[in-house]
Amino acid sequence: MTGEMIAFFILALTAIAGGVMMINMSNVIHMVVALVFTFLAIAGIYITLSAEFVAAVQVLIYSGAITIIMLFGIMLTRHEGMTEWKLTKMTVLLSGAGIIVFFLIMFFSINHLSLGNPATDLHIDNTKKIGVELYSKYVIPFELTSVLLLVALIGAIVIAKRDDEKEAGK
Amino acid sequence: MVNDLLTSPAGWIHAAIFFGLGACLLMIVLGFVTYAILAERKVLGFMQLRPGPNRVGGRFGLLQTVADVLKLLIKEDTIPKAADKPLFILAPVLAFAPAFMVLAAIPFSNHLKFSDLSIGLLYYIAISGITTVGILMAGWASNNKYSLLGGMRSAAQMISYEIPLVISVVGVIMFSGSLNLTEIVEGQKTVAYMFLSPLGFIVFLISSIAELNRTPFDLPEAESELVAGYHVEYSGFRWAFFMLTEYVYLFAMAALTTVLFLGGWNPVPFLGCIPGIVWFALKFSLIVFFMIWVRGTMPRLRADQLMEFAWKVLLPVALLNIFVSAVVKELFLR
Repeated sequence: MTGEMIAFFILALTAIAGGVMMINMSNVIHMVVALVFTFLAIAGIYITLSAEFVAAVQVLIYSGAITIIMLFGIMLTRHEGMTEWKLTKMTVLLSGAGIIVFFLIMFFSINHLSLGNPATDLHIDNTKKIGVELYSKYVIPFELTSVLLLVALIGAIVIAKRDDEKEAGK
Repeated sequence: MVNDLLTSPAGWIHAAIFFGLGACLLMIVLGFVTYAILAERKVLGFMQLRPGPNRVGGRFGLLQTVADVLKLLIKEDTIPKAADKPLFILAPVLAFAPAFMVLAAIPFSNHLKFSDLSIGLLYYIAISGITTVGILMAGWASNNKYSLLGGMRSAAQMISYEIPLVISVVGVIMFSGSLNLTEIVEGQKTVAYMFLSPLGFIVFLISSIAELNRTPFDLPEAESELVAGYHVEYSGFRWAFFMLTEYVYLFAMAALTTVLFLGGWNPVPFLGCIPGIVWFALKFSLIVFFMIWVRGTMPRLRADQLMEFAWKVLLPVALLNIFVSAVVKELFLR
């Protein structure tokens, strides 16, 4: 049992526990908090895979930005409603069958999977490597993504502005 | 010594040594917080022509903060009946833990550092973002409309000012070509980055004051005008944790500013005989003093001015700084 294994088990357990808690909780805010722990644990798993850059970005985008957006969205709307569970026999049977089929498919495909030899030098300068790849091979997709983000930004401004004008017109 | 520790294979003894070093750092930070609060009250007192604390612990009030902390610890710990109990308890922990975690990335001198992360700067920015979740949670879990509003106000401010803060360091990253904080300091051997990207330095300083919720951007607290923000329902040691978070972030942010813009442990020319850690401490104290000075000088901004300032002034200037830095690098540093 190496330290890496122990770290992996703790992180994996946290990630799964966070996911299960998120599904089973009835309060929306509690769900988001459980989700934060899942995101952080996944970032930790990236670090054990020596992908620090991806880990930092995971924490920055998911645990930071997306969680805050979700919390704002929930808090600025009505949050009195609790989810009610309505389980019929049919849903239980259907979802159970779905889970078993999914498990079998995954089990057999993973059994026959071979990933080849694992790369050994990925941890050296990986931030730099990501940058070089991104700006040499994938410039056009990168630029297209930034245009997409810009369009989304302008769209958000347009939507916010329209509300403003309506209120002023009244 | 630490460099050897960082490169040698890991084991249980290593874990124990790092645990001990971490505990030492925590003690040092707590000592800093104690005397930073005293220094702040003293300096503000002198600026306002009054003596400041001078009763507990001799003429200079050296034990004033200790007495204050003791008072907080023996206060009754109240949890409102309508509060969301688990979140109410978890929120101060989630706010404080990142504040201490970010210190792991900061190199204090050539030999005194706790890690050698290749993404040190990004690590700091990413981890410090988690505190916002803790603050928002504290505001919500109190089940009080004032603390919810305070939490929203605080989160909105911290998110808005994080953007110019991050963009203003892009210039530094371009000059040093690395996200590793040690390499960033090594890159400032000849000239500190505050001279190479003065625009970035100013934007960084302003947005770091806003990130720390200090005057003139202390709307999250604003105890003299608004009901105190997200921590209005907290008392005793849970409230102390929020205050501790604020001052540990002051420590971390002052250290980060020193590393990024003031050249870290690099000496001023012709004074290389003084050891690096002393230089670091001097530059660090200068930043902390500057923060206190600003607090004693500037009036508080209004909430709408605060947001407009971040988005309409700081962000464009930070973007301009990237362009100017690129031009400077191409023209003078090739």
